[in-house]
Amino acid sequence: MNISPVHYIALPLLAAFLIPLLSKLHKELARIVPGLVFLYFLVISVVLMQRLETQPMISEVIAGWSAPWGINLVFTPFSGFLVSLMSFIGFLVWVYSYHFKKIDYMPAQKYFILLMMLVTGSIGIVLTGDIFNLFVFLEIVAISAYSLTAFYPGRDGAEAAFKYLLVGSFASALILLAIVILYTQTGTLNMADLAVKMHEVPHYLKVIIFVLFLVGFGIEAEMFPLNGWAPDAYSQAPGPIGAVFAGIVVKGGIYALVRVVYTIFDLSGVGTILIALGLVTMIIAELAALRQDNLKRMLAYSSIGQMGVVLIAFGIGTDTAIFAALFLMLNHALIKSMLFFSASYLLYNSTTKTIKELTGMAKHLPFVSFIFALGAFAIVGLPPFSGFWSKLYFLMAAADAQMVLLIITVLSVSVIEIIYYFRVIGKIYSKDETSELEPKKPTINSVLVMTVLGALIIIIGVYPDLVTDWIHHASDALVNKSNYIQNVLTENLPR
Amino acid sequence: MEGIGLKILGALLTTIMAFAVGMTYGGITRKLTARVQNRVGPTIWQNFIDLVKLQSKKTNIYHGVMGHFAPMWIITAAMTVLMFIPVLHPNSTWYSTWFPNLTFHGDLIFLLYMMVFGSLGMALGAGQTGNPNSAIGVTRGLSQMVGFEIPFVLALVALMVQYKTTSIQDIMAIQDQSGVWMMFSNPFSFLAALFASLGMFRYSPFDIVGAPAELASGPVSEFGGKYLGVMMTGGSIFAFIKLTLYVDLFMGGAYSIPELLIKTFALYMVPVFYGWVSPRYRTEQAIRYFWGWPTALGILGVIIAVW
Amino acid sequence: MNTLALIILIFFSGATLAYLSSLISNKLPGWVALLTTMTGTVLFYMSFQNEQALSFSIIGLNLEWALDNYTILFAHIIFGLGILASLYSVQYMQNKSQQGSFYANFLLSIGSMFGIIISKDFISFFIFWEIMTWSSFLIVVWNGIGFRKNGIWYMAMSAIGAYAMLTAIVLINSEIGTYSLQAFFNAVQENAIDNLMLVSILLLIGFAVKAALMPLHIWAPRAYSNTPASYTSVFSGALSKMGVFGMGLVLIRVFRFSGLQDNFDYALVSQFTSHVLAWLGGITAAIATLYALVQKDAKKLLAYSSIAQLGYIVIGLAIGTKLAVMSALFLAIMHAVFKGALFMAVGAVERQVGTTDMTKISGLIRRMPWTFFVTLVSIIALAGVPPLSGFVGKWMLYEALITNGNFFLVVVVFFSSTAAFLYSYRILFGLFLGQEEDDTAHVKEAPATMVIPMVILALFLIVTGTYPGIVFEPIAHGMEYLGFTDVTWNMTVLSNVWGDSVNLQYVSTTIGVAFMLALIFLTFKGRKGTRGVSTKDISTSGEIPLEHENLTFQLDFFKPFERAAAPLYKRSITKIYEDVANGLEALFDFTRKIYTGNGQTYAIYVVAFLVTLLIVVQNML
Repeated sequence: MNISPVHYIALPLLAAFLIPLLSKLHKELARIVPGLVFLYFLVISVVLMQRLETQPMISEVIAGWSAPWGINLVFTPFSGFLVSLMSFIGFLVWVYSYHFKKIDYMPAQKYFILLMMLVTGSIGIVLTGDIFNLFVFLEIVAISAYSLTAFYPGRDGAEAAFKYLLVGSFASALILLAIVILYTQTGTLNMADLAVKMHEVPHYLKVIIFVLFLVGFGIEAEMFPLNGWAPDAYSQAPGPIGAVFAGIVVKGGIYALVRVVYTIFDLSGVGTILIALGLVTMIIAELAALRQDNLKRMLAYSSIGQMGVVLIAFGIGTDTAIFAALFLMLNHALIKSMLFFSASYLLYNSTTKTIKELTGMAKHLPFVSFIFALGAFAIVGLPPFSGFWSKLYFLMAAADAQMVLLIITVLSVSVIEIIYYFRVIGKIYSKDETSELEPKKPTINSVLVMTVLGALIIIIGVYPDLVTDWIHHASDALVNKSNYIQNVLTENLPR
Repeated sequence: MEGIGLKILGALLTTIMAFAVGMTYGGITRKLTARVQNRVGPTIWQNFIDLVKLQSKKTNIYHGVMGHFAPMWIITAAMTVLMFIPVLHPNSTWYSTWFPNLTFHGDLIFLLYMMVFGSLGMALGAGQTGNPNSAIGVTRGLSQMVGFEIPFVLALVALMVQYKTTSIQDIMAIQDQSGVWMMFSNPFSFLAALFASLGMFRYSPFDIVGAPAELASGPVSEFGGKYLGVMMTGGSIFAFIKLTLYVDLFMGGAYSIPELLIKTFALYMVPVFYGWVSPRYRTEQAIRYFWGWPTALGILGVIIAVW
Repeated sequence: MNTLALIILIFFSGATLAYLSSLISNKLPGWVALLTTMTGTVLFYMSFQNEQALSFSIIGLNLEWALDNYTILFAHIIFGLGILASLYSVQYMQNKSQQGSFYANFLLSIGSMFGIIISKDFISFFIFWEIMTWSSFLIVVWNGIGFRKNGIWYMAMSAIGAYAMLTAIVLINSEIGTYSLQAFFNAVQENAIDNLMLVSILLLIGFAVKAALMPLHIWAPRAYSNTPASYTSVFSGALSKMGVFGMGLVLIRVFRFSGLQDNFDYALVSQFTSHVLAWLGGITAAIATLYALVQKDAKKLLAYSSIAQLGYIVIGLAIGTKLAVMSALFLAIMHAVFKGALFMAVGAVERQVGTTDMTKISGLIRRMPWTFFVTLVSIIALAGVPPLSGFVGKWMLYEALITNGNFFLVVVVFFSSTAAFLYSYRILFGLFLGQEEDDTAHVKEAPATMVIPMVILALFLIVTGTYPGIVFEPIAHGMEYLGFTDVTWNMTVLSNVWGDSVNLQYVSTTIGVAFMLALIFLTFKGRKGTRGVSTKDISTSGEIPLEHENLTFQLDFFKPFERAAAPLYKRSITKIYEDVANGLEALFDFTRKIYTGNGQTYAIYVVAFLVTLLIVVQNML
């Protein structure tokens, strides 16, 4: 069989359809099949990344229509990087949550299908070369995310999901509106083609479209002040879904934003806007996290803050900055999912999910506590863990751009970040008193996942060259816009 | 060999002189104080008599190793400082024969620190006896030291800055050359140092360390016999040292022993006189006292010296 | 394999091994740590005479490690103290749980300290710096008590320092395009760095945090007093010297020998900064001393004393004359030795008695004579009384200040050194002298493996008191690396630029002779009739105390002094910090109000944001 990017989309859709049927044969299949899909994702990611060594990008045309008329999937080093990352995190989430709802399989079946669709939608966002399809995938993600947020029965989950839905539908509407305007002006939906024809759009419209996109994608990318849904959603969804939100979904939002900004538009001054928005997002989120007593909400705010930094990095827009942004995204995906994984176990039997309840948990859950501490160390950027290098490169980029104040602000906020993360560690390792929570011993598969992530964080920290080539390719591909356009528009036939 | 023999002889002579002068001054003070208080008082040799009495007594008790060491530390510090201080002016005829000792091998700051050595030993010895009064006396003494050290150091800094040297001989030599004593060329510093000397000599109103009425003599209260005798000897030598130091620094030193005696006695009478007319301060009052006007004078002295 | 890399590797793998060995037995990690430090130390001393350098590249950044004379000076501190502390630690930690994580971090921090000083580029410097920070942090919170108070402040202050440093580092890189230290110094020489002053000040802030300079010191008392004593000696002795190490580089190599001294503006700013730093050092010394003498806990007392001592060192570096730098480096080494010894001694008391609270301990001198001896010697050195080595450093510092014209600073230093006598006496009296209590009657001397390292340190203090030249030699070499030329020193004679000198050999000979004479006289005169008495056998104004009469004097030890100096105690910097921190947190709380949790509000945000953006962006683009 010829491996192509289409498999990323087709296979999970098929699987999602089949899972209810297969699970009639054997209940376990509802759990196993998504795993197989994720595993296959990993395989094709590796194969396609291999193939990129010899060619600049893989453009897959669906239904025989070549771009700009047909719908196409574009697998560049940049999107490949994100797709591989998403597949990897998706797979880990599946392994981690394999035993989820062990007893009643109906919720489990729902959970796994939605999980799969969430990942698929995100991958779709990254892969598609067509702005309308991007919208469609965004909707897939959004709907799965709403459902997962409301996964647990009860008022809180429903409320969180409703808020998400409310804001999310704004996003959909705005993006759709932007697409419509864009289409009326240029007559095309292909992003490469759009980039070419963008100069035809009158300036004021261009700005309006840009703003619409910015707000629309900004909601998914957790930009301030559009991120009110995020803390609720993170804290109400099942534990591992937090990891998916932080590690995969947000990345999709960021990707969409970046793709629009970098490829379609050629507006000057966009960088400044991104920096400003990123800065505000980061500051507000980190400050909000400082006084947060709910652990998952704290992690959510931290996640938002990190995305703010990523936005700033994209805003700076130099080669180093984009490299830093991608590195940040990689680290954030790995570390934040690890944090969510471990936090889920720390809070397993808690009803309020507050940090207070964690006092002295390290005694009962030494491994999970260790992983959480490792994640905290890594995410605040302490060497020799992976978070350090991305932070360093981010600062280098800012320094090269002569943004001393920016550096000082980001680092001051980092101090706050250190304070709230270390407070939690302090609680966990405290011996002053012991927690009343009944700890749940981690299952073997979750231990495995956390070990893999922990090991990766240390390995990348000690030997970052392991991933930097990969990121360099990705950032080159993003920066090199004309290359993208040219390849998409000329490469007509599927290989 | 002859040189060394002479040196040892000189050192012995210096020590004996310091001891004799210190003891006599103490005796004179006792007599004078008594007369002022309308008592007959002891003879001026009373201190020597006391010492002979103490040394002839049998010492019955032993308060542990620090208690044993304390008098040694005092006498050691006293003798060491004495060796490094120029008793007479380096240009005087007597100096080169009998009193050079080790004066060229140390400077003012060294002397300052060396002088603490004895007090530290005393404090430790007093501490080990277990008498709370002793320890209280020590804490008072240390606190008071922090008090008077500030004007004293300010005065010394002014001196060192003014003459661009930290060597005592050089300070004396420069005063000699210019013909003006330090106490006249920089009176503020001299006054600051004089105030500090009140605390140094621990007469009223700064006799809070011994405080016979409340602390039963404080640090020394557990010592008797040979121990107290040695302490007394050390204390007398120290009194001589302090006076000589002041004479050297502020009065251009002395060319002959009579000159030295006159100058030191005059200086010595300052704390004694002050003591006659003053009741005892509380510790914090004493400290505050030194941090007030004396310190201001000291600062003024430094400013003048820099200019 | 390169020895430098090998040493680093030994320490880091030793740390892993120490942790893993704790899974087998809780007794193993101590021995693993001892073995690791021994191997590392032996390796270092076998090879440090040779020129060694190593460079490699990691994600396109060149990392260089090398040994130079300045490095070797600090390596002596790290390894010397490290090996003694790990020997001491084996028995000290004997009955404590979770030794694995303690020793892992112990080794990590020693290894990373060595990493810091051999780093010849900012990246590895920073990486090792941070590893040092968090490994020491983990030891600070190792006992899991009072995390909020001890740990968070340490980490937050360290983070502020580290991030100031990181800012400086990336700014330097953006200007000269490399992280190499040598390239930075060269660029400084050629005046190729525009915002050199900003960068230097940021670097200084970073180092000042570790050197516990006021007002960045607030972490130190708590962190020092909360670590197990075997690590505190390294923490206060060696780790804080990393700040000194860095300050030396900036203040001397950059400020003093920058080749920009002719540039008026530069000279003005750099001298101003140095002056400010010197005064900060002076204030640190004075205030920390005042706080030290009111402490009731011996470890806290020593912690404040460490801060004060570091103040002197900073003064020396900031003044920057030959004598001043020499005194600073000398004091740095001596502080490592005597504070190392003191923390070990207090640790011994803690282990044998169970507390370091001086109001609960009294009169241990007969029970723990060796510990007392070590404490006594170290305290004499700390107080700067001749003939021990502390005096040498103090003397040089005073002379340097006076000859350089820092008249009022010298008075501040004098004040704090004099006030230091108070806490010196406090700790000696509090632990070892005074009434011998019944509840400490059973106490025994600490085991030999704890006493030996302390005694070695004490002997070092005694020897260098007369022959400081032993230490001057590496210091002089180190100073040549910093840029001084013809650094002169003498084995036993100290001298200043005015030509005044002190001959230490004469000093100690005189003291020795006088002491021996007095000893012979006092010991042999009427020896027969003397009997030893207990501390109860005293005359309290002629009365004989009853058997259970309380004669212990430990509370409010320096109350009169406190009263006299009351205005100086009124405002606690720590309190100010805590108020500011709480205020900020309360202020930041408003952000949580933004997230109302109300869906409608969020929807309004979206709309409002859209409108605002449309208006703003329309004007901007």
